[in-house]
Amino acid sequence: LSPLHLLLVYFRAAQYACSLVVYLLRNNSDRKDLVAKLKSLETSLSAGRKLLRLGNAANSIEAAKRTVQLSDRVLRLCLTVANVSRTLYFICDNVLWAKSVGLIRNIDKERWSLNSFRFYFFSLVMHLSRDVYAVLQVMTKRSRDKNFKQRMDQHLTENPEVAEVVVPHLDGFLFLLLEALKSHPDLALDSVKNICDLFIPLDKLGLYQSNGGVIGFCGLISSLIGIVTLTQPRLRIAP
Amino acid sequence: MDSWVRFNAQSQAKERVFRAAQYACALLGSTLQNDEAAEIRRTVSQLEAHMSLTRKLLRLGNSVEALEAAKRAIHLSDSVLRLCLTISHLNRAMYFACDNVLWAGKTGLISKLDQHKWSQRSFRYYLFALILNLTRDAYELHLLMEREARSTTSKQPSSPSIPLPPDHLPSSSSPATQAMGFGWLYRQLHLVGTVLYSNPPLLLDLVKNSCDVFIPLDRLGIYPTGPGFVGACGLASSVLSILTMVHPWLKLKP
Repeated sequence: LSPLHLLLVYFRAAQYACSLVVYLLRNNSDRKDLVAKLKSLETSLSAGRKLLRLGNAANSIEAAKRTVQLSDRVLRLCLTVANVSRTLYFICDNVLWAKSVGLIRNIDKERWSLNSFRFYFFSLVMHLSRDVYAVLQVMTKRSRDKNFKQRMDQHLTENPEVAEVVVPHLDGFLFLLLEALKSHPDLALDSVKNICDLFIPLDKLGLYQSNGGVIGFCGLISSLIGIVTLTQPRLRIAP
Repeated sequence: MDSWVRFNAQSQAKERVFRAAQYACALLGSTLQNDEAAEIRRTVSQLEAHMSLTRKLLRLGNSVEALEAAKRAIHLSDSVLRLCLTISHLNRAMYFACDNVLWAGKTGLISKLDQHKWSQRSFRYYLFALILNLTRDAYELHLLMEREARSTTSKQPSSPSIPLPPDHLPSSSSPATQAMGFGWLYRQLHLVGTVLYSNPPLLLDLVKNSCDVFIPLDRLGIYPTGPGFVGACGLASSVLSILTMVHPWLKLKP
């Protein structure tokens, strides 16, 4: 991808890092002006990112056009719907930017903001479904592999006390899951990123209220994973 | 649509589009001077400030890029180009560094920053970089004119059907010295026109730098022209720069 994407993810990481530090220092009275500085930095980073996202709806539509041609049916459905939903999120976001600058006046900011978070949430759910599908595919392929069967039996027999207490199927399932994730680091990173990202709209939509610290932390983790996947192409999930 | 996606992906391209929008807002704001348009003028100036701050955010890494460009320019073979380009890139690096300091002051990271002093400093570096770019353009123009003049004089002995050299101008009634003076000027201008017409990258770069030079001249108070003219110049140079990005063959090399 391009330097602009990397720059945007750096700004996102900085924004959520500021938000996290502001939450951690919120009760500390000696650091009041540091907190004020970080808050204003966070605001300007957020405003700058909104402006820089102005063209992204076109990018998402192009991505949707590409994913519609995938061969695997489930992947095609999940990714195309995710990209279309993300396009709608970007359009709502652009409208909100125009309102914040004063170009558009008579729109209901709350309603548009809620809709933008709904579209974002839906696109994340679709991305997570794709992750779950990919993990299940890897797990079924692995479980049929002879070498792996031997390793799993070895694992179950060498810890008999654990295998008896916990349901053996669950233990085998978890072993299979961890093996699948370890052998596909790109899938593991994408899953963690989507799960972390999910907390943001969950909080804004009121589905799972958490505090500013959790949001900041999750946003920071997902941005750091984004930076890693952009700088190391082999860790990026395809398509 | 595909070329839009590629264009969108370059951060420099986005910065140029925002620059064009910022100067368009400045131009628009200067034309709305009456009281009825106060609301629009406020929106336009708010938009302009928004664009300016985001551009500063986008340029946070540009001083490093300018230093890298200066390091590359040191290896050029032509000594005049080497001097002009290296010092121009170094000045741009200083301009971007001052710009980063201004951004930190505007977002509140550095409190009690003398914004006017740093702004003047950054415009001084920008002006010097532009003067060096214009010098480089003049030098390239001079080289191309020499080459063109040599090629036209070398063509004449071999093909006698070419019309006589333009010493014999229609102003035959004026005194000989005056005709020769005007003749020389006409010849030089014709040569400049030919060279620029056949070298669009040089023409584009020359026009772009000439438009850009009015911005620091106005901000530093050396040659104040007013916000409307500055806006128009900035818009023109941004549009030309976007043109060189969409058509990379129009970019002046090195």
